[in-house]
Amino acid sequence: MGNFVRPFLDNEFLQRAFLAGVLVSLTCAVVGTYVVLRGMAFIGDALAHGVLPGVAGALMIGMPAMAGAAVGAAVMIGGVGLITSRSKLSNDTAIGLLFIGLLALGVLMVSSADSLTGDLEAILFGQFLGVNNSDLVAQSIALCFVVIVAVVASRPFLLLCFDADLVSAMGYRAAWYHRLMLLLIAATVVVSFQTVGALLVFGMLLAPAGVGALISKRIGTMMLWAAVVGVVSTYVGLMASYHFSWAAGASVVLTAVTIFFVVFTAVSIRRSVVGDRS
Amino acid sequence: MRTIIIANMMNLNKLHNLAIRPIVGALASVAVVACGGGEPSTSPDRPSVVVTYSILGAVVSDVVGDAADVVVLMPNGIDPHEWEPSAKDIELLNNADLIVSNGLDLEGNVMEAIEAAEKDGVAVFHATDHIEVIEFGAGGDVHGDEEPHAEDEVVTADSVVTTEAKAEDEHGDEHGDEHADGDPHFWTSPVEMAAVVEALGVALADIGIDTGDRAAMTKESLLNTDQEVRDLIADIPAESRILVTGHESLGYFAHEYEFEVVGAVIPSFSSEAEASAGDLATLKETIADEGVSVIFTEMGTSPDVVEALAAEAKVSVVELSTHFLPEDGTYKTFILQLASMISVALQT
Repeated sequence: MGNFVRPFLDNEFLQRAFLAGVLVSLTCAVVGTYVVLRGMAFIGDALAHGVLPGVAGALMIGMPAMAGAAVGAAVMIGGVGLITSRSKLSNDTAIGLLFIGLLALGVLMVSSADSLTGDLEAILFGQFLGVNNSDLVAQSIALCFVVIVAVVASRPFLLLCFDADLVSAMGYRAAWYHRLMLLLIAATVVVSFQTVGALLVFGMLLAPAGVGALISKRIGTMMLWAAVVGVVSTYVGLMASYHFSWAAGASVVLTAVTIFFVVFTAVSIRRSVVGDRS
Repeated sequence: MRTIIIANMMNLNKLHNLAIRPIVGALASVAVVACGGGEPSTSPDRPSVVVTYSILGAVVSDVVGDAADVVVLMPNGIDPHEWEPSAKDIELLNNADLIVSNGLDLEGNVMEAIEAAEKDGVAVFHATDHIEVIEFGAGGDVHGDEEPHAEDEVVTADSVVTTEAKAEDEHGDEHGDEHADGDPHFWTSPVEMAAVVEALGVALADIGIDTGDRAAMTKESLLNTDQEVRDLIADIPAESRILVTGHESLGYFAHEYEFEVVGAVIPSFSSEAEASAGDLATLKETIADEGVSVIFTEMGTSPDVVEALAAEAKVSVVELSTHFLPEDGTYKTFILQLASMISVALQT
């Protein structure tokens, strides 16, 4: 038992990494469930990459990386909204255009500034083991924000997920709540990229929420399972990183994805045995 | 007249590890076309020597003198583990009379182009073919042969096992260009550099570039510099000669000047590897056991992780420019600065 608890007691950096991982997991459990149910993975992925030029720009002029990421995310969401509202182009075309445009801009910025080379890895993969207290504070604020919005807007969000046509019929403004949901995804990516990295936060959005969607039909229970899977992945991943000297962020996300496939297999087998078609 | 061209660079290697690789590849080629870069000013009538990175380039320039154009591919200060050549750089390599590379996978992304040029008949000189290579795992194990106390042995054995395990793990997977053979950072020892200079003089003569006695002079000046380094560090007491580094980049310096590298934040010769909780925890224990007072970090190692570890272990952080050429562009200033920073840090 000592091997599974002692490392955390002995090492502050592991305690902070675990705490940060739990905060990311809880935030991603709520937001990721909406992402999975509404098929918004592409915008999530695009946001995760789209923050790159913002972060690079912020680092160049000495601003906090998070502010730059927020600008990048705002450009992405605003641009997608503009293209889809002013043209007949589909949502995924708009996302793809901004995704590749911002990524290209980010690559150019990073590659033309000598001082940023070491930071690119930090932006994309995060610094799980270098989490500081201000990261934790930001992460906590993001979690509170996400939970409050999810509770206040729970009913329209629920309708958006399962029957989008009903949203307007019930007197809610669908477009408005859609944008609010985008804002939640953006907030999650912007705050979490410093911990798990822009790419891995995307994994934490999808894998635990995917498990929740596999084993439950109720949105609240899905989020609960997603939170459990996220927290367990954080713990198991950090343990693996400790005992096998694996890269921390990747270990955590890989654990979450592995859990997804284990659950997926189990659910598939159970279905074929029980014959449950639902 | 010698010309040093800082070639245009596209530092995309990190992105290449990801799923977006094809996208970035496409962007890179667009960018290369778009940015064009400065015209190479090698004249066709003079032989050209292309060197991969700045520190080695400075020494090669000293040896070559006026006998040829010396072109350095990578901009000074770029992490050579990460740098990628542009189309123009590859043209320079193919048109060179001699390519001088570090070897041992330091320039992971340029090696393919160098090998291709070699097949086309370009002479290639790998600096690390002419030194005594420190093997993988040995970098953290450079004992001055004094007082091998039991605890020390345990820690060392441990770290050797982890680095070897890591090498196996990462071999052939996403960290495919991990260094497999040995420590490439030979330039942290002027003595090894002198050995390279001697061999380079011969290689230049072989392809008909006459440098007179410049190789011998450069070698002598390097050995003088070695003496200056020894003077600089003479006051560091034996028990303080303990180094903890960012990635394992000071192996040759440690070997030459009887320091012991007890650990690295990222126990790999490459700055591309990432920190793991296990390595950090081991290092934290080592720092406490060995009475380490300072972590020497460098470009390419995550400052956040180093800061977090240093705060927890209550030691200070000193950033070394192990991969940078200083402003005056000389190797001598580079190595003296490195030695004096280490000397000052270990005595305060």
